[in-house]
Amino acid sequence: MTQPPVLALVLAGGKSEALHALGRVRTASALPYGGKYRVIDFTLSNCVHSGIYRVNILTQYAPHSLQGHIGIGRPWDLDRREGGIRLLQPYVRQTETNWYRGTADALLQNRNVIADAQARHLLVLSGDLVYKMDYGELIRSHEERDASLTIATTHPPTDHPERYGYVDARQDGRVLGLDEKPARVRGGVVSAGIYVFRARELMARLADPSLGPDLVRDVILPMIREGAHVYAHPLRGYWRDVGTIDSYYESTMDLVRPVPPFNLYDPDWLIYTPSEDRAPAVVGEHARVHQSLVGHGTRVEGDVRRSVLFPGVVVERGARVTDSIVMHDARVASGARLDRAIVDKRVIVGREAVVGALDGVPNAEFPRDLHTGICVVGKGSCVPERARLGANTLIDIGVGADDYPSLEIPAGAVIRPLNRIPA
Amino acid sequence: MSFVSYALILAGGLGSRLCILSEKRAKPAVPFGGKYRIIDFSLSNCVNSGIFDVGILTQYRPLSLRDHIGIGRAWDLDRKRGGVELLQPYKGWAETDWYRGTADAVYQNWSRVEEREAEHVLVLSGDHVYRMDYRPLIEAHLARGADATVAITEIPREEARGFGVVDTDADGWIRGFLEKPQNPPSGRVSMGVYVFRASALYPALRADAERETPHDFGKNILPSLVRAGKVLAYRHPGYWQDIGTLDSYYRANLDLVRSDPPFPLDDPRWPIFTPSTEFPPARFGLRASVHSSIITHGSIVNGTVERSVLFPGTVVEEGATVRDSIVMGESWVGPGAVVDCAILDKRVHVGPRCRVGEGDDRTPNRSCPEHLSSGITIVGKETRVPEGTVIGRNVRISANLIEEDFPRERIASGYVLERETTAAR
Repeated sequence: MTQPPVLALVLAGGKSEALHALGRVRTASALPYGGKYRVIDFTLSNCVHSGIYRVNILTQYAPHSLQGHIGIGRPWDLDRREGGIRLLQPYVRQTETNWYRGTADALLQNRNVIADAQARHLLVLSGDLVYKMDYGELIRSHEERDASLTIATTHPPTDHPERYGYVDARQDGRVLGLDEKPARVRGGVVSAGIYVFRARELMARLADPSLGPDLVRDVILPMIREGAHVYAHPLRGYWRDVGTIDSYYESTMDLVRPVPPFNLYDPDWLIYTPSEDRAPAVVGEHARVHQSLVGHGTRVEGDVRRSVLFPGVVVERGARVTDSIVMHDARVASGARLDRAIVDKRVIVGREAVVGALDGVPNAEFPRDLHTGICVVGKGSCVPERARLGANTLIDIGVGADDYPSLEIPAGAVIRPLNRIPA
Repeated sequence: MSFVSYALILAGGLGSRLCILSEKRAKPAVPFGGKYRIIDFSLSNCVNSGIFDVGILTQYRPLSLRDHIGIGRAWDLDRKRGGVELLQPYKGWAETDWYRGTADAVYQNWSRVEEREAEHVLVLSGDHVYRMDYRPLIEAHLARGADATVAITEIPREEARGFGVVDTDADGWIRGFLEKPQNPPSGRVSMGVYVFRASALYPALRADAERETPHDFGKNILPSLVRAGKVLAYRHPGYWQDIGTLDSYYRANLDLVRSDPPFPLDDPRWPIFTPSTEFPPARFGLRASVHSSIITHGSIVNGTVERSVLFPGTVVEEGATVRDSIVMGESWVGPGAVVDCAILDKRVHVGPRCRVGEGDDRTPNRSCPEHLSSGITIVGKETRVPEGTVIGRNVRISANLIEEDFPRERIASGYVLERETTAAR
């Protein structure tokens, strides 16, 4: 046998407040990415490329798009008699019924399922990361060191360095400390959110009735403090957490750079996803497309630059899409302009409408999450004909033309449906 | 109540007029429209019409077709009841022959029809591009109590020479059937889409099997049924294209990139299903210039592409131009190369600064002037064209050639390049 029995547990239940309209309808793991994928495809493809065919996905928040996407796991060859893929949603039991209160609690509530797998190691992954990794190497290093826990580490991206957990490790990899979201950012490597636990040890810790709900705070930090065998294993190459609008946007834009830092075209490590039954992309007579990714079923008659178009997008003649992300079946009508916009599924951008890049006042309500000039238009919304939306505006989900107070929307505004029942 | 739930698709033919495209694959398995194979249209029409029990009759080079169809997943035909089945010639106790023709193929597999106790059976061709709901056809067939119903389409009369021309009376009953007439009386031709009453078809097949004929549905079975009884014509409006020749293949592909395509591939009400290859989205580079083209996923375009169809995984490097051409999957067009009015089969490698399809000389192809005279140059599967090669028009270059197989000088229009010709030189 080449590999010890491993069970992968993918955490994909979180609500990503920082994604706003993009994260309301779906969990970050289900976010459309790269013109055809959803973010969780990277983790799932890594699993199967690493020979791990037992994958459980812990879901809680808005799981439907994830459920529909994963189905029985066919695209990843995870529709199997032994192992395969399984979604673990919270359920009602005779005593102590609860939602997952945190990542550790989610594992705890599924301890029977995990125990039944009789795995020697538990590979705990996050579904909202973009990276390629051979987990086999990680697991081998974990075995060789006879570690209780091995944490994959990476160099943090330059944006928002305060979002990460900094790992203090000795030359031999032994972890001495983990500084989660420090007040003062310092150099060094960060935790990549990829862990291998010795199954027995993690299960024993989860069984402690006084355990808190968070995997890092209540399990991993105490392990390090108590001197358990915790090691770091470097993850080389591209790694991005796409849990914020900025990081999602920047990571997508990385794909359309002349030499992308992340190669989707590697034949030995393809990213699998359910392909939709759509015709190939049609590029029209007057179209101009540069530095872009174009999914199938799209029809481009206008100008597209440094952008990612998902399946079924229509860019009409005379429309211009620049530095933008346009999701499935959205339509950009003739003469409209998108600049640094993230347009969710089925959005209609009316004729001659202008979205983005007028000026740069941060968003009035969410200055922290929307200040780099990106406009977000939520799923199924519309941008009325001839409307002009400034930078950093946030259009909520399902906003109709009648919901706009005027056609001139200043930078940093938030537009919500007027008739919405207050939450 | 009788209904029709079983379809047989004829997919065994040689397709010699498609030249080297069908050298290594059956005609229905020839790639089409950026991501499809020709048989996808008939198969998708079946499932979109609610027919989920399909037999495909194969004989000539069935391997690529078999790989394409697999267990029928792409069409939802991986089923416990029904599904899709490839019917290859087989050795039995008595009948031990290759299929002698389309009619013979159905005759040899008649047990398939019998075990379903099918009262009627749909018989289709696997080499046509069209969208058709078979249900109204079947309804007309049942309502009129026909022995056979033939779907017909209207094409320009002068083009009807290559087809089966149908002569009907005022009530729509077929009175005559002319297969490939020199002087077509009309442009009403058979689409190769038939519904047969099993009890009428079987005696005709059996009688035909005992005679020396081409054993062909169009030439033999239909005329005999017309003589014997009730054969109905059912007119189907809409696009229909027989992919019989290299010219029609080329035209049907380039029709797709017209600004008003007569046959849009992306009709959400009638999707064409096919197994999708695992590729990322198409990538357009900084210097890409693409107009009026179909670009399929996995393609990387850094050069110029005009009025062309690129299949999955095609790479067009910087400074390269692909014009009025069809480039099949995973081909590579090197920097500065020009591909003009050409068909490149899968995994063709066009070296830097090559010119494929060059000049005004339109000398027809030497070995097949009848199929290769409109200016199309064709390069076979996996051939590697060495750097700087210049190739004229109507040229045919075989599959699997390597750099050493190419002459140093320009390859003139009408030339045929094969390994043998090189060896003889």
